[in-house]
Amino acid sequence: MQADATNAAAEARAIDWLIRQRDPDFADWDGFSDWLSEDSGHAAIYDAIASFDQDLDALPRTPAAPGMPLRGEQPRRPSRRAWFGGAIAAAFVGVIGVSSLGLFGDPNRIETAAGEHRTVTLADGSRIEINGGSVVEVDKDRPRFARLESGEAMFHVVHREGDPFVVEAGANRIVDLGTAFNVVRRARQTSVAVSEGVVLYNPDRDNVRVVAGKGLDARDDDNNAPAVKDVDIASVGGWRTGLLVYNGTPLSVVAEDLKRTAGMQVSIAPEAADLSFRGALIVDNDRGRTIADLAALSGTKAERQGDGWILTR
Amino acid sequence: MAFQSKQSMTSSHDRTDAAQGIEGVLLANRDRIIRFLEVRGAGDAAEDLFQDLWMRLTDRRTGPIAEPLSYVMRAANNLMLDRYRSARQSELRDKAWGEASAQHSPSTEASLISREQLALVETAIAAIGERPARIFRRFRVDGIHQRDIANELGVSLSTVEADLRKVYATLTAIRRQFDAG
Repeated sequence: MQADATNAAAEARAIDWLIRQRDPDFADWDGFSDWLSEDSGHAAIYDAIASFDQDLDALPRTPAAPGMPLRGEQPRRPSRRAWFGGAIAAAFVGVIGVSSLGLFGDPNRIETAAGEHRTVTLADGSRIEINGGSVVEVDKDRPRFARLESGEAMFHVVHREGDPFVVEAGANRIVDLGTAFNVVRRARQTSVAVSEGVVLYNPDRDNVRVVAGKGLDARDDDNNAPAVKDVDIASVGGWRTGLLVYNGTPLSVVAEDLKRTAGMQVSIAPEAADLSFRGALIVDNDRGRTIADLAALSGTKAERQGDGWILTR
Repeated sequence: MAFQSKQSMTSSHDRTDAAQGIEGVLLANRDRIIRFLEVRGAGDAAEDLFQDLWMRLTDRRTGPIAEPLSYVMRAANNLMLDRYRSARQSELRDKAWGEASAQHSPSTEASLISREQLALVETAIAAIGERPARIFRRFRVDGIHQRDIANELGVSLSTVEADLRKVYATLTAIRRQFDAG
């Protein structure tokens, strides 16, 4: 872990040098030289990053219009699963008919272990991708209904005119109007992010309309209707491919997500509890790497603690 | 080479006396350059690589160069990166040899990542967020100065720097994934 943290720091320095050297006027070669001589490993770290950077010359010059980089480019996402390979080692993705769930006890209750991902296809063709550490209930007699008891799931709902699909999370109801959306049910909080179509949040109470590219976080004890915020469509349900994207999210929430998605035990020291995290996190084969990235990007230190890690300031 | 065209962008700076030339700069700064090559990963081969660098730089006709020492140091840095890349290439070639003895060109210009990997890189950059992705593209793909990007987007220079660091940190994590795969 120590080595990982050192490496992450060296990588951050190498990145700084690389960025500075892109300026044609860069002149601090002696400073660069000094940094290289600090540790014989620095040259290799710099080479690896600089070489990768050179390969980015092949990036197309004309950028996609901002805000719509990924919609309609479905083939890319599944291919990332191959890249992660065993990244989510405990995950298995299978299609299970609701009737066969009897093997697991209550036929209507689907419970996943931390790090275990499962996909369920319902009779109407709608799919529920369930993240680890989650409980989803379905009902044979109510084919257009699912309940997210706890955890996280991505819903791909087949639209039926006049027969909306309803997802319950806590005391909240999310009513689809033909969509794909991700729902997280944490202790006393529900988050919704929509990647396609439209959902209505608590139509009989708050009646908040959430369209693609929008989301909301609602606390159970808040009596006001939750505010709609922007979300990045490309990262909705990112847990499915091992790419977790955050924009000012408390570290405790990131730790929860890592537990669910990858079965990683991460605790946050009290003095770091208020820190928020921005950036993209890849669930790496080497979990120590993921933690080192999280620590480096959030300005914390990671140490091993039992089977997991603790982040301190 | 890339550094040649970059250098021409700075030619409004003080010009070097042509008589001094690149050879003069190489000779006058020999120890400094060799020390740089050593710590840059050349080790004992630094003296030999200094000769390579000499050949590279004196072989070609260049116009007057502003900041000739920076020019030489950048060339030395690129020389080391080229060596790293061709070593990586033969490593990958040796790996692939057993499976399919495809012919690879030994050129250092060849890309070390596949098109699929490049597509993943684009996806990941887009996923970081609209502003960082845009800033990165302007900087890395379009070659715009950080200060000009800051003006263009109406954000501070430190925001541009922070976004670039963030994107590069993600790319570094992705690179490790490619390596591990």
